[in-house]
Amino acid sequence: MTSDDQPLLEVEDLTTTFSTDDGTLTAVDGIDFDVETGETVCIVGESGSGKTVATESITKIIKTPPGHIEGTVRYKGRDLLSLPESELRQIRGNEIAHIFQNPQEAMNHCYTVGWQITEALQIHRDVSDEEARAKAVDLMDRVGIANASSRFDDYPHEFSGGQKQRVMIAMALVGDPDLLIADEPTTALDVTVQAQILRLLDDLQDEFDMGVLFVTHDLGVVAEIADRIVVMYAGKVMERGDVLDIFDRPAHPYTQQLLECLPEFGGTGGGIPGTLPDPHDPPDGCRFAPRCEYAEEACRTGEQPEEVEVAPDQQVSCVHYGPGGNPSIVRSEGHGPGDGATGGDSEVGPADD
Amino acid sequence: MGFGRYVTARVLWAGVVSLVITTITFLLLSAAPNPDVQQAATQAALQGGNPAEATERVRELRGLDQPLYVRYFDFIRGVYTLDWGWSESRSQPVLEAVGSALYYTAQYSIPWTILTIILGPLVGVYSAANMYSWKDHAATGFAFFGYAIPNFFFGIILLLVFGVWLQFIPVTYNTDVAVFSVENAVQLTIPVFVLVTGSIGAVMRVSRNESAEFQNADFMKTAKAKGVSPLRAYAYHVMRPTLVPLSTTLVGQLLALFLGSSLLVEVVFAIPGLGRLTYKALIAQDTNLVLGTTLFFTFVAVVGNLLEDIVFTVLDPRISYDDR
Amino acid sequence: MATKKSEEFDQVDWNEISRSGRFDLSINSIGMLVTTLPLVLLAVYDWQFLGERTPTFQFVGVDRGLESVDFFFIFTLLLAFWFLVLPLYQNPRMTRYYWKEFKQNRPAVVSLVWLGVVFVGGIVGPIVMDPPQQELLIAYQPPVFTSVVDTTPATCVGEVMNGRCYGTWEHPLGTTNAGKDVFTMIVYGMTISMQIAFITTTIVATIGISFGTLSAYAGGWVDEIMMRFVDIILSFPTFLMFLLILYIYGGGLGMFIVVFSLFAWGGTARYVRSKSLSISEEEFIKSSRISGASTYHVIRGHVVPNVASSIITQLTLLIPGFLLFEAQLAFLGIGDSTVPSWGQLISAGRSDLSFAPWIVLAPGIVLFLTILAFNFLGDALLDALNPEAEAENT
Repeated sequence: MTSDDQPLLEVEDLTTTFSTDDGTLTAVDGIDFDVETGETVCIVGESGSGKTVATESITKIIKTPPGHIEGTVRYKGRDLLSLPESELRQIRGNEIAHIFQNPQEAMNHCYTVGWQITEALQIHRDVSDEEARAKAVDLMDRVGIANASSRFDDYPHEFSGGQKQRVMIAMALVGDPDLLIADEPTTALDVTVQAQILRLLDDLQDEFDMGVLFVTHDLGVVAEIADRIVVMYAGKVMERGDVLDIFDRPAHPYTQQLLECLPEFGGTGGGIPGTLPDPHDPPDGCRFAPRCEYAEEACRTGEQPEEVEVAPDQQVSCVHYGPGGNPSIVRSEGHGPGDGATGGDSEVGPADD
Repeated sequence: MGFGRYVTARVLWAGVVSLVITTITFLLLSAAPNPDVQQAATQAALQGGNPAEATERVRELRGLDQPLYVRYFDFIRGVYTLDWGWSESRSQPVLEAVGSALYYTAQYSIPWTILTIILGPLVGVYSAANMYSWKDHAATGFAFFGYAIPNFFFGIILLLVFGVWLQFIPVTYNTDVAVFSVENAVQLTIPVFVLVTGSIGAVMRVSRNESAEFQNADFMKTAKAKGVSPLRAYAYHVMRPTLVPLSTTLVGQLLALFLGSSLLVEVVFAIPGLGRLTYKALIAQDTNLVLGTTLFFTFVAVVGNLLEDIVFTVLDPRISYDDR
Repeated sequence: MATKKSEEFDQVDWNEISRSGRFDLSINSIGMLVTTLPLVLLAVYDWQFLGERTPTFQFVGVDRGLESVDFFFIFTLLLAFWFLVLPLYQNPRMTRYYWKEFKQNRPAVVSLVWLGVVFVGGIVGPIVMDPPQQELLIAYQPPVFTSVVDTTPATCVGEVMNGRCYGTWEHPLGTTNAGKDVFTMIVYGMTISMQIAFITTTIVATIGISFGTLSAYAGGWVDEIMMRFVDIILSFPTFLMFLLILYIYGGGLGMFIVVFSLFAWGGTARYVRSKSLSISEEEFIKSSRISGASTYHVIRGHVVPNVASSIITQLTLLIPGFLLFEAQLAFLGIGDSTVPSWGQLISAGRSDLSFAPWIVLAPGIVLFLTILAFNFLGDALLDALNPEAEAENT
């Protein structure tokens, strides 16, 4: 195996369960995906579909126990899940960095932003305080914080929400990571700031030549930033493929409905009727079957259907595309602009918060 | 900078508080029948003299014929210029008596304070990290025990067990041993233990409850994602924010015990410190000394409260100095 | 999740209490008035028509006197009955809910039982038991099930075997150096402790709530000055000031209670003020003001029910401090030595500690358990009544 054709990150059959008082909760149920250097992969799905748990399982930053992670996560050929904690710590913040959803909560209010940005450097590298400071100020400057050298000693509460997220990005980039995991980094921000942050991430990705794994429930964001998409639902992958292919020809009914929620695609923004299944006791067959308008008997038995290649580099996990299935059931009604009836005009989807 | 002004304002306020308390002390004293005057009158009557004349003479001698406000300003000036008068029972200036007693009080107060500050938060955070384990329950039990057991009673019992029955420690405090000697350490072990037990309970409880909140905070996940080790995460990211609410409890507890129980502990262990000095002054009816010691403790209280405020504000970066 | 649920529950119940409060107010208040009247008459009679040394109940042939502290104690007991116990009975749903929350905390239930014993003992004990008598002949009797060398007691009440004197049920906790029965003295000490607990909390609650709401509703510079005053009160070294007062004026239990409660309401006032301010912002107060409710009504109907649970908790946690201070003063022997408190007994037994430790141990352990019980109870109330306030009050 040569290192050239090997992806930066390769996730196989990743399963994360939590032991709770009510039994075992399966948050992520055997998913696969990979990220190449320099590309942005988006994991898309409703809140509660297991996206965050999946990304936090990669470097095991979820608490174990109660969490339990299985499967393989290969980063540059090394299996992260079997690494001892001490070696894993060398990778976290150094080679794989995280940005979280809520910058307000994700920073410690008792330390200056400078201290928090340089913390990863102090741990991983043998740098002097001056070097660390110089690097942090430079980064703060690059993520667009004015007067970076004077703001280095300010506390998080002295920054606005958008600035905080910029600081969080600087904090993640300080170790020159090769993979950046961004978990809904723009959700807590208002729309104009959101756009700025997305542009910044895009620029920085080119500059640092990183692979980016981007988690969001917002397809509008996906359209702006993604190269490839992985659509997740209730801990399973429903569909994956190139962003343009999927936006043009979404194969899975779930993807279609997600897209229909977007105003740009003529959706009403009303959401998808129904709620996510109980993660303690997921339904048989396709996870989406209970909410799917095309569901048949075959969808409700057995396991989640095998992924089928419907177009080059576009796979879907749906009975209708599988052996004996009829894709036209799903596709003929078609998805297209103006066809918002299936979105349910009056029903407000409670699942999408 | 804001900090300097904040501290100045706080110090000024502490000055006002101390003045109010001193004034109340003066009013209490002047409203009471003066024992010396009465004594002189009684004596004069017994010796066949004129009680009224004797009273007048003593009043004149002690400046009591002056109007109230003159006496008040004299009193205040005396207090703040550290002219605290002469102690009859000890035949030395009050300030000197307080100073020499402070020497013994400091010998147990310093280790007591240090141990409380170090052990309390550590045990509390450890308790939170191992929440609902037997260690946590044991720590909680100890916290409640220490909080509830009257210090003087605990002291008596320990003195009985270790001093009288087991004879590990001397029953009477020996002032002749050197400060940094094994003997001194041995004789101070039990008093320090009693006081630490008393002050650590609340500190442990607060640090446990507060750090339980912080150890599940989002910023702990950020720290982990940065590659921070659990030990460092607790030491920096949990301990530091916990110290903010804890500082109030810490200073408050130490102060409360210092202003109350330490007096009893000194009496129980016969340590010739400030508490015992106060006690003896009360018994000996030495007004100047009683006043001197209570004023001293009052100033400790004022300074302690001042410290509590400043420490809290310094520790929490979110509080701007103008807000308070 | 649990937090959220109980919070909603709290809301519902307090509304209920204030709703039913308007209806039942008269019943509770009338009951209070009707029961207070004879007490006041008795106090006036005792004060105006009886000599210093004449027992209050001589007119019915009972040789028992009441001090002013006793009158206040009975008054606070009546208050507690009409406005604390009766409302619990009147709102069985709320009571059941709180009890359900409360009983999960086992130490707190045990504490409540213990405090119940102390309460009943303190009230019934002095009525059914004679005051401890001095009997030098039977000094230093050991407690039941224990024995001492028979030279310790002057004469042994129980059996003497192998040169050891065994304790008897006649003096279950032994006797003091004056031959007084330790158990009787502890029961009499319960009265003192309960008096301290009830009277101080009543005074603290009254001043704290009035001062706090007044400050909140006055606002502006009045509020500022009032809160600065609270600052001073809070930083007052009460124990030492009380030593000074004792030194200058002397004083008994009444003085102790008055001085300590006068300097203990700072925290309550501060809490009530901040709570009143936040409540007055809330819609239901605005609406009740618009509908023409008086300030008194707003305070009585909205502020007090909303702060009641926290104040009860705060007060529960204040009581052990008072008990401790009383014991410390009694131990130093500079208080009123005629008050038969636990601290007094500890002080009395101290010189005999090495050969008669029960004189110190028995009241010391009772004092410890009582303080512990109040702390456990306060902790449990904190959890049961307002889980979200836990951090604030510790």
